[in-house]
This record gives sequence, C-alpha cells and structure tokens, in this order.
Amino acid sequence: MRAVLMIAGLAAMAWGAVLATSLTLRDTWQGLAFFVGGPLLHDGLVAPVVGLIGWSIARHVAPRWRTPVLTGAVASGVLGVLAVPLLWRPFGVPTNPGLHDRDYWLGLGIALTVVWATVVITGLVRGRSRPG
Amino acid sequence: MPTAGARVSLKGLRTRLEELPERFTSPAHDERVTSRVGRWLGIAFGLCFVTGLLSHGIQHPPSWFGWPAGPVWLYRVTQGVHVLSGIVAIPLLLAKLWSVYPKLFERPLARSALHALERGSILVLSGAALFELVTGLFNVAQNYLWGFYFPTLHYAVAWVAIGSILVHVAVKLPVIRRGLAGSIDGSRRRFLRTTWLGAGVAFVATAGVTVPLLRSVSVLSWRSARGLPVNRTAAAAGIEVPAGWRLEVVGPRRMSLSLADLAALPQTTAELPIACVEGWSASASWTGVRIRDLLDAVGAPAGTAVQVYSLERSGLYSTSTLPATHTAATLLALRLDGEELTPDHGYPCRIIAPNRPGVLQTKWVTRLEVVA
Repeated sequence: MRAVLMIAGLAAMAWGAVLATSLTLRDTWQGLAFFVGGPLLHDGLVAPVVGLIGWSIARHVAPRWRTPVLTGAVASGVLGVLAVPLLWRPFGVPTNPGLHDRDYWLGLGIALTVVWATVVITGLVRGRSRPG
Repeated sequence: MPTAGARVSLKGLRTRLEELPERFTSPAHDERVTSRVGRWLGIAFGLCFVTGLLSHGIQHPPSWFGWPAGPVWLYRVTQGVHVLSGIVAIPLLLAKLWSVYPKLFERPLARSALHALERGSILVLSGAALFELVTGLFNVAQNYLWGFYFPTLHYAVAWVAIGSILVHVAVKLPVIRRGLAGSIDGSRRRFLRTTWLGAGVAFVATAGVTVPLLRSVSVLSWRSARGLPVNRTAAAAGIEVPAGWRLEVVGPRRMSLSLADLAALPQTTAELPIACVEGWSASASWTGVRIRDLLDAVGAPAGTAVQVYSLERSGLYSTSTLPATHTAATLLALRLDGEELTPDHGYPCRIIAPNRPGVLQTKWVTRLEVVA
C-alpha cells in the first residue's frame, strides 16, 4: 500500500516537472518565485502573526469570551484572505460586465458585522449560563 | 573572525531555537488534530485535482477522451466543485500548517539522508499546495499578479501537488492511522470545530458564484447577483462587425448566410447554462439555429466535428473545435432571453453548447468548417 502510494506520488511529481519544462525561462523563474515564496511568506510571516494573535487572545481575554473571540478571529481571517484579490487589484483586468463588480468593502463589512455580533451574543449567552 | 562574545550568544540562540518546539503549547500541535484536518484537506485536494483534470481534458482532449453533451449542468457542477473545493482548502491548509508548525524548528535539521528527503518533500508539498490555492484564488478574481500563462503552470503544479500529497501520505501512514484512532479531548475538539467553521465561512462567502440559492448571501463572490456575466467584451476583443457580414458554412458543399437568412431558418430555444472555468455559472434562454441543421444543409455526414471561427482575429478565443457528440444539441444562438444578442454577448451569432466550458462558447462567429 505505502509502496504503491509512494511510486504513484513520485510519478505524478515527475510528470508535473516534465510539463513545466515547456515554459520559457522568464515563466520558469516567476513560477519558482511563487512556489518558494508561498512557504517563505507563510512560515516567516503569516504563521508567527497568527500565533501571536492567538496567544494574545488566550492571555488577555477572559475565559468565557476566549472561545467566541478566537473563533470570530479565525472567521474574520478567512474572510480577509478571500477578500484580498477582490479589493487589492493593481494587476486586475478592467471590470467585465457582471464579474467582480460588487461592493466588496460593503460585503466584507456586513460579513464581519455578522461574525462579531455572533461573537458578542455567544459570549453573553455563555456568561448567563455559566457565570464567571 | 567572530569574537568570543558573539560565539556565546550564537550558542545561546541555538539552544533557544532547540527548545522552541516545546514552547508551542496550543492543543492544535498534536498528531490527532493534524491527521483529522489532513484527511479533509486530502479530500478537498483530491476533488480539486480530479475536476481540474476533467476540465483540462475537455479543453485539450486526447484521442481517447470523450465528454458527453448531457446532462447540460454537468460541467457547471464539476467546475463549481473544482473552484469551491479549492476555496474551502484555504482555511484547511492554514489549520494543517499551524498544527505542524513547531516541527519547522526541530533540530538537527536532518538526522539522516532519509529524514532530509522527508523534510525536503514537505517543502515541495507546502510550496505546491500554496501555489495552487493562491494562483487559483487570484485567477478567479481575474487579478493576474504574474506574467506567466496561468492554465499551463496551474496544471503542471497540480501534478506536483497531488504527487507530493501521495508521497506524504505514504511516509506518514502509520502516524495518520495512530492519529485518527486516538480520541480527542475538549480543547482539541474546539480547534477542529473552529477549523470546520472557517471552511464553512469560506464556502458560504463565495459559493454564490455558482449556487443560485447563495447568490445574494455570498458577499465575496466574483460574479454579480444578477445578469449574465461577460468574460470578454467586444471592445476588449477588438470586434467590428462588417456591414456585409455573412456566415460561411464549409463542408462537402458551401453556404453563405446573412443574419436575415439565419433568422429565417427553423429556430430552437433552449435553457442552457454558461459555466466558466473560473467557477461562475449562469443559466439563460438562448434561441438560434441548431448546428446539426447547418451541417445537414452542406451535406456533412453524421459524426463530424466542426471548427468554429470568430471575427476575433487572433488569440485563444478566436477558434474552437465542437466535437461530433455535441453538434445535435448545440445552437448557433441569435437571441438571448428573447432579445437580439448584444455585442458583448457575441452579436451577430455565437456558439452555445451544452456541458462545455464557457471559454469554448465562441462568440462573434463568422465561419463554420466541417472537420474532415
């Protein structure tokens, strides 16, 4: 079982590498920059920042609020990440009729309001059922 | 030459780095959590890979590959699954990486050649996985941070990603089995629940691109709440319809038709979706002439494919091949929802084929040629 997975995996990776050889030199370098840039950006910046936020919430937020606030922060982070390509468009094509033309600042604002209203309500309900 | 002091502080730094893995106290850093998140991440990437392979096959069919003309909604579903499983994989991947983050600081860097190979393979895995999700997310928003041609590289790296996932599962199989068998306590269950919730938020925020019920709820969907989107305007394509425009149909015989001639032929109306490779889809009512009727008129035998040419002179969208399986159900549409086509929707006429990617629904058609 493990051997089959390993061989299939190595074959698929090799095929991917073969497909990538059709690229021009410029595209190869750009592709590699994205390939290496992802882990570098994640491990060096995203993960430490997320860890620090989680740590500060765990340290400074009262126990009954901790889970709702952490959950709200995760939901906000997910919404924030998904909004980036819609809000930050220095390389975007001009808006096509019917595509990427919503008011994304408003949409993000509404979604975050719903998330944090849920956090507050959950915290208050938890406080009532479990004082302290 | 480093001074003695510098050497001491370097040593101190190294000791602190070596102790770092133990200082991560979050309940997420646990193989029972990693394996549970990994299982769903593996399913998401698997779905993404299979549906992506299908879409690639439809656009670049090898001789053995066939794709049916129906059900008409099938491509809408497979490409919707492709894009949405990728979106859902974003929070899952971030949770998975957070769960194993302390391992990054394990020292020594490599205990053996095999251990070095394993760590190297994980770098390839996270590189390929992040590459696919980041380029995919920016591509659906038509936001091109890169100069390379997206489909070629997204497709090549997909093979690297799925291959490195298989290798990773092969290496970690005993750990995965142990992790999945182990029971979960309260704080770890909370981390997992938050992860599933994050995946759910990602789905609801975007799925309206293709799920009609969520259209107005998905605030981060890249298609509008109403109307049929246009992926390439007549202006962007540089289209000017000549005054004496005629459609050439070339087979065993030749035929040249004006727009009035086309409108005088028997018309068919069909409710068909446009489903884009970028995951959005929209249904509309199209009216026009069946391609099969035009082929019959020029004496083309059954089972022939058609090459479609656009007024657009060059580029990827200037021509497409309509396979023989699709000629019976495909329309050369003249009207959309009862109105004459607008320039952006392909005036004077366009191809509307069921169960095919939007990129192959050639607009501003000027010539149909039977493929011998």
